[in-house]
Amino acid sequence: MSGRTHELQLPLADEQVKELAVGDMVLLSGEITVSIGLPTHQRMVQSINDGVPLPVDLRGGAFFHLSTYLKEVPGALPQPLYMNPSTSTRYNAYMPTLIRSLGLKLVGGKGGLDAASVAAMREAGCAYLSFLGGGCTLLAQSIESCVASNWNEYISQFRLVTLKVRTLGPATVGIDAHGNSVYESLRGQALERRAQILNELNHQRRMAAGTAPG
Amino acid sequence: MITQDQIKAVSARLYEQSLKRVPQDTQAVLRKAREAEGNDTARKTIQIMLESADAAQQREQLVCSDVGIPVYSVKLGTRAQVQGSIRQAIVDGFADLAARIDPPILKMVTNPLTHQRSYAGKDMPIITFDLVDDSDVLELICAPKAMGSGRWEALDTFVFPSLETIETYVLDTVIKAGSQPCPPIVVGVGIGGTFDYAARMAKQQVLRPVGQANPEPTLAAMEERLLKAINSLGFGPMGTGGNATAMAVHIDYAASHGFVPIAVALNCWINRRAGARMKSDSDVEWFE
Repeated sequence: MSGRTHELQLPLADEQVKELAVGDMVLLSGEITVSIGLPTHQRMVQSINDGVPLPVDLRGGAFFHLSTYLKEVPGALPQPLYMNPSTSTRYNAYMPTLIRSLGLKLVGGKGGLDAASVAAMREAGCAYLSFLGGGCTLLAQSIESCVASNWNEYISQFRLVTLKVRTLGPATVGIDAHGNSVYESLRGQALERRAQILNELNHQRRMAAGTAPG
Repeated sequence: MITQDQIKAVSARLYEQSLKRVPQDTQAVLRKAREAEGNDTARKTIQIMLESADAAQQREQLVCSDVGIPVYSVKLGTRAQVQGSIRQAIVDGFADLAARIDPPILKMVTNPLTHQRSYAGKDMPIITFDLVDDSDVLELICAPKAMGSGRWEALDTFVFPSLETIETYVLDTVIKAGSQPCPPIVVGVGIGGTFDYAARMAKQQVLRPVGQANPEPTLAAMEERLLKAINSLGFGPMGTGGNATAMAVHIDYAASHGFVPIAVALNCWINRRAGARMKSDSDVEWFE
């Protein structure tokens, strides 16, 4: 896998998303919205089901499982101090609804999403980006400003926060808009290799015990 | 004499250090792993891991925003001269750090019954104590545990398991975690003893310096073949494909009954840990 690097300005056109292939790397500029709150996801889905508009217009946008610490600034928008991804599979149950209803173009975090989300992403023309876990300091460099902070009754990382970023990344395309998921293919590959790997372990144990046949 | 105030200060500093530095041994293994990667994306991913570690250390910033829950292992020499409460000192040290650390940390301590999050909670920090005979040293290791790797740790109990069964369980635990625990990971394995003892062995093995062979030849051979096996799975750095799924496999065992608990503990690539050995308030030795 040796992908291309794309420098992208948000919001993305359908064609730009379709050009992204698994293994490509991406640098993003523009507005993104982030949250790692489970209650936040539940409330977003509930709002959509009830026909209540979300406090930020996410249609056709980029929504990531990134967390940030918001430092309160009196009389102004809070200041985001750092940023880092969380495990996206925690939100598997909510992502298909969010992707389809909002027509999200980019989602992301780390660790990928399940098959139901991959199907929703193919329908909506949406790609998944893997950000560096443990990338706090590097990812924070790209934050230009906080555009909006909503649902502020939640703790910092659970809020729905919209940020302006410049060359955020590099992030790796983990799932593309054509139904290809590196996570599914790697899991399949690992399970396929498992029997042979276990055979090799057996062989090495026999060698170590000096009882290898032949 | 080691005072409660000094233990408090050391506890706070250890937690802060563990959040802002990736241990040197871990960075060395990552550099080797970068050279061994066959694909560009995997090499670049390890490269930005190393840059992130460097940036956090240089600027005194956090490596990861999931600062985990504070977990301390204490080894108390039976001849150590300690004044005051060690447990209270660690509780106060964490509270003090949470109140003043720059940059401030997110609330991760969670009540499991209500999901309420804060900087404090019942039995927090998690502290385990061991006694060391004939020693005058108080050793503290802080190894915060976060969601990425904490979620995939596993323990199961077997009856007279073969080595094949044991190694299959370790491999399957890593397959289940797959792309999600921020690989390359450190895998700690505890075999035998009792339910609780197996888990503690696994946890202590995670904290062993990486890149050093197990002194016991049988275990060293098992570690070597399991590491090779895990790195044939293909999950790779950040689970987006590559060779480096694990940096190390560390194994310990204890005698047990015919029932044999096997525990598998995992640490993500940032491999957070920081330690200190104290003999007195003026004699503190720091280690990673």
